[in-house]
Amino acid sequence: MGLNYQLVLWNKHKKTYDKIIAAGMLLYIILFAATTLIFNSETSIETLVIRAFGSLAIIMLHIILVIGPLARLNTNFLPILYNRRHLGVSMFIAALIHGGFSMFQFHALGDVNPIYSLFTSNMDYGSLTNFPFQVLGFFALLILFIMASTSHDFFLGNLSAKVWKRLHMMVYLAYVLIIAHVFLGAFQQETSPFTIGIMVIGFIVVASLHLTTAFKERKIDNTKTEEKNGWLKVCHISEIEEDRAKIFTVENERVAIFKYNGKLSAIHNVCKHQGGPLGEGKIIDGCITCPWHGYQYLPSNGQSPPPFTEKVATYELMLEDKTVYINPKAFDEGTEVKPCNY
Amino acid sequence: MKKNDEFYIPYIDGSLGIKTKQTIKRFAIGSLIVIIIGALLFSFAQKPFKNSSFELISATKIIGVFHENPYPMLRVQIADNTYKNILLLGFGKSSANPFLEQIQNEVKNLNGQTLSIEGNLIYYNGKTLIQITDENKVTLLPNSSGIYPKKISVSKMTLQGEIIDPKCYFGVMKPGKGKIHRSCAVRCISGGIPPVLATTDDNNISEYYLLTDLKGKPIHKEVLPFIGKPSEIKGTVVKMEDWYLLKINPDDITIISDLSNIYSKTNSN
Ligand code: HEM
Ligand code: FES
Repeated sequence: MGLNYQLVLWNKHKKTYDKIIAAGMLLYIILFAATTLIFNSETSIETLVIRAFGSLAIIMLHIILVIGPLARLNTNFLPILYNRRHLGVSMFIAALIHGGFSMFQFHALGDVNPIYSLFTSNMDYGSLTNFPFQVLGFFALLILFIMASTSHDFFLGNLSAKVWKRLHMMVYLAYVLIIAHVFLGAFQQETSPFTIGIMVIGFIVVASLHLTTAFKERKIDNTKTEEKNGWLKVCHISEIEEDRAKIFTVENERVAIFKYNGKLSAIHNVCKHQGGPLGEGKIIDGCITCPWHGYQYLPSNGQSPPPFTEKVATYELMLEDKTVYINPKAFDEGTEVKPCNY
Repeated sequence: MKKNDEFYIPYIDGSLGIKTKQTIKRFAIGSLIVIIIGALLFSFAQKPFKNSSFELISATKIIGVFHENPYPMLRVQIADNTYKNILLLGFGKSSANPFLEQIQNEVKNLNGQTLSIEGNLIYYNGKTLIQITDENKVTLLPNSSGIYPKKISVSKMTLQGEIIDPKCYFGVMKPGKGKIHRSCAVRCISGGIPPVLATTDDNNISEYYLLTDLKGKPIHKEVLPFIGKPSEIKGTVVKMEDWYLLKINPDDITIISDLSNIYSKTNSN
């Protein structure tokens, strides 16, 4: 549905969301600056900026990282996920201010170029406590930059959902780099149980939410299947709600099996937009509607209704004694398959 | 997955259900609380900064006798029979020398000449430095030879402390020492700012030593690997009015693993 992103972009909820992000960031900076200036007034402005934006960025990154698993565990979180990219770009801007100021402060106006200086001013690459921690921050910032600059749907169209998704999985690499950046850097000198504590708690929250979701999803993928003449048994028909789907894994691919209007249809579970789980979507106006941003597909052929051109793979179903069976062999994307009547 | 009938579609008005709205609201409030706690923790956790100063936006004119022994300084009279030797620095992470070239061409030997210099002052704990940003603000005053300080050898000593770049340490940056600041100090000293050993004794009294080689010549690159780390240095202490020099062989610097007093809790950034 490449065409409707403009429509999505100017949605009024999105504006509220952006206002909340901006207000939150402003609140953080003001609060950080005010407490520092009142209780530790000998600070320098550069240090204030570097520290306020660095710590803001890492807190925002934690918020971003919990949204994914929360939305997998409870669909009420989906609208937050849907707007997450603005949060991501805002976090990148905070990180850029931090990194940019640091680059200038520590490396500019010297006898070599600042980027060269970043890599060579501290050569203790073999040591943990003396490690050149700024290099880690630099690579993290680079990843965040690539993600922020490709976050627009324009790139999605040009990069294919799979490449885009892989690119955006790099946020976890960035997260690890940033944690190392902080623990091998600031925390070596500015050691405080409070900031170390908040980072450790943050890591535990992010990691445990991801593990919980991974565990839940593995359960879907690992259910033992019964085979009958090449067809795989899915479930009793009553286990699928009207206008909703059941997600079933065949040959390592997840498939969404929808029940609607006395019919059953199966399509590949992965949305062509950003890989949203179509099986958690709903039939609206006769179309399978993705829960993430509302891209639509016709159940019978996996094609987006015109003028849109997205297509996903379809599957053949069979009903016997009110039990649903699926043919594990996928059809080409957009292939018409006669729905199964019940 | 939780069963629920609410299904939000961005482009369908009114599809935002009550439960979903509530969830979003709770999430927003939760995030706000995290933001507030985060800002308070991160700002309160900062160690106290020291009261060093850098007058970035105001220029001061100083007049005194120039000497390069081995680092360029201006000996300024601050009271009857009291002189202060102000260390001269260039703009950014650089030495003062390029800014002195122009007037160096006017006289054979700049040592002992009286100069007027306008620049930005940097000061902390009794020491003063000045940043020169414009060679035209350095002027030679006529008929003006003056005395410059004598160097008196004190003794051989082994000192513990940290090699810092005086420009940042005495005012430009906070913290101007330690791991956080190491890269910058390396850049400054590599760029021609004199290396200084900062020490603090058990009574929390600090002393500063300009490092030179055994012949009393400037050193820069040789000390780069030791900057910003607690170190122990053997050398000969030389007194030069309100400054000390330490003549060293860079091979006699050792990194010490326990923190030197410069890191003590009572000490600020
Ligand atoms: C070019 C890239 C970067 C450079 C040169 C850099 C440099 C620095 C420096 C010098 C410090 C110590 C500051 C101080 O305590 O006075 C620091 C701390 C920190 N950095 Fe970075 N950084 C970079 C990227 C990042 C990124 C991408 C993030 C996270 C999104 C980040 C998060 C932090 C945090 C949380 C701290 C500790 C709190 C603070 O002191 O601000 N940094 N960084
Ligand atoms: S992932 Fe965006 S609409 Fe499906």
